[in-house]
Amino acid sequence: MTPSETVAELAHPRQDYSYAFLDEFAKRELRRRILKAIAIPGYQVPYASREMPIARGWGTGGLQVTLSLVGPGDVVKVIDQGDDESVNAANLRRFIARMAGVETTSDTLEATLIQSRHRIPEEQLREGQALILQVPIPEPLRWVQPSVAKTREMHADADYALMWLVLYEQLVRFGEFVTGASYPVIVHRRYLMTPSPIPRWDTPKLHQAAHLTILSAGREKRLYAVPPYTDVYPIEFDDVHFSVERQTEGVCQMTGVSHKYMNEIPQPDGSSRYVLSDTSFADKLLKQKRGERVTIGEIYFDDKGNFYHAGYLKS
Amino acid sequence: MAYVATRGGEKAIQRAEQLYRALNGAFDADFVRAIERHMPYLMDRVMGEGSLYAPEMAALALAQAGGDLYEAVLLLRAYRSTLPRLAYAEPVDDEALLAVRRVSAAFKDIPGGQILGPTLDYSHRILTTQVLDNGHEASRPEPEAAEKPAPTNYPSVSGWHRLTGLMTRMEEHEPPDPAELPDVTREPIVFPASREHRLQSISRADTGGILALGYAGMRGYGLTHPTVNEVKLAYADVRLRHPITGAVFSAGRIRVTHTEVVSTSADGLELGFAATMGWNEVKTIAAAMLDMEMSKPEPHPAHTEEFVLYHTEPVEASGFCIHFKLPHYVTFNSALDSIRRVRSRREGGNRLQQMIQTAVKEKAS
Repeated sequence: MTPSETVAELAHPRQDYSYAFLDEFAKRELRRRILKAIAIPGYQVPYASREMPIARGWGTGGLQVTLSLVGPGDVVKVIDQGDDESVNAANLRRFIARMAGVETTSDTLEATLIQSRHRIPEEQLREGQALILQVPIPEPLRWVQPSVAKTREMHADADYALMWLVLYEQLVRFGEFVTGASYPVIVHRRYLMTPSPIPRWDTPKLHQAAHLTILSAGREKRLYAVPPYTDVYPIEFDDVHFSVERQTEGVCQMTGVSHKYMNEIPQPDGSSRYVLSDTSFADKLLKQKRGERVTIGEIYFDDKGNFYHAGYLKS
Repeated sequence: MAYVATRGGEKAIQRAEQLYRALNGAFDADFVRAIERHMPYLMDRVMGEGSLYAPEMAALALAQAGGDLYEAVLLLRAYRSTLPRLAYAEPVDDEALLAVRRVSAAFKDIPGGQILGPTLDYSHRILTTQVLDNGHEASRPEPEAAEKPAPTNYPSVSGWHRLTGLMTRMEEHEPPDPAELPDVTREPIVFPASREHRLQSISRADTGGILALGYAGMRGYGLTHPTVNEVKLAYADVRLRHPITGAVFSAGRIRVTHTEVVSTSADGLELGFAATMGWNEVKTIAAAMLDMEMSKPEPHPAHTEEFVLYHTEPVEASGFCIHFKLPHYVTFNSALDSIRRVRSRREGGNRLQQMIQTAVKEKAS
């Protein structure tokens, strides 16, 4: 070894960014917050939330969690509205791949980390997989109380009376619950949680799930989690029950299946056609149709629309 | 099949960016330097909101974003995220600022004097079209040096109020260890916020957002008519302690704005304060006013700390606003499901009423 002559020679070669973009201090902070979130299911953990090289509100919360968890051995899947090729999903996926040098996939079964906006896949997730949901508004009480300082107190007291009142008002005005996506749930019999804006169709998939779900809002600087095998129940009355979106009319134009979450495609004559929202699942079904070899996992809802935890859905 | 799925996302976004760049044209290092040299107030605004004092990078961000302020601020913030924190500067005493302009509306004259300094406040806002006609500005006189140079440092006006008992005196304390101060970029803000988090947040807040909320207060919602105690444009020495020798040295100077406003209640004067990197008087005057409003026991709803600090965050506000362009068809479909259920229930209800009416009629006849 020859003695170096300049400081430049001694210095570490210039590197534009750390592995997976975030510096190690940011990753450490995120991992600690994630552990806390897992320890207190459904509780919103504040975190610093670094500015990312994509716009706030475009998945920066999910992205920071993914980047703090990803390692060279991971296989990453990114979906937006159920679609791997949606433009923002494509953008996030190429950023993660560029910064972490990981393999990417559209196959739900192959992925170790799944970052998603607004959907949980139709194939059942398994132990060891982590689902990272992008969250715009982490506070389920925002609709009844805009102040974060006040909702923190309400969570501390488990004071969710206003939410039951909202349900009751819906019943009185409309004859049923009319919350669309992000239907509020109680996690582990303690915290009220908004399950990102996933449709009600996907909400039951969080209950006693084999996988870990981490929900992260970058702009609002809050993350929370549903650990594996945790109780997640939508708020409902003893005699009026939560229900998922009706998927009885739509038959997927590409695959012929029904009883799955569909995209409705308006037709010029005023009618609608339907295609599967989960594009990876649709691709697999098409491959199967063509006689190609393909592994399709267990699904959450069978061909008659029955959920895999029998008795969980009461209506 | 009528349905054409929008696939090929990666190719689409690459082409979209290429198209954007092609439309905006190329730029080079000379252009970046020209922005840095000739657009100081634009630079100050981007560096202040980006909370990174890096003129070269701010000029690059502006060039790269085609002059889009929110994009430029985001570029700078995202770059800032990747930088290590090497050292903490020594606290800056406002009386040690190298001021080039300081005015007070509270008194005709103040200790140290009123110094107009460089300002367009009393200029006629007339476009100099001769630049376009002649290709250059008409010859302009060089500013003459004053007979007696203005001082570089000024005693604080609020210091005088405190000395005379008009304002509550500050408790004597040791200067804080900068490394121990709460840092809003490294930890989440919770409410009520620490004084540090509040001042840091308004320092990097959106100029337009701060102005809108501040103006609402000045105009009538909350109705404060603050007196500008002191506005100061200055250079601040960034003083660092050498890690080995312990000697304090200046690593350079940055442009800063420092503003105090006071409200006059019968109890005495109350202070509102704001400071930011770069020269930006409109922002710090509005921010100092909001600081005072936020400290009231019952502020107007639009002037509570949570309302002001959350909604004037430029990167968060602009990002969330433009995120609504993203597809939302999954959640939209879920909402349609609810609407259709309610509709069919109502129609069903009407049918039921019809059946009852028919039955009643049949019975009657």
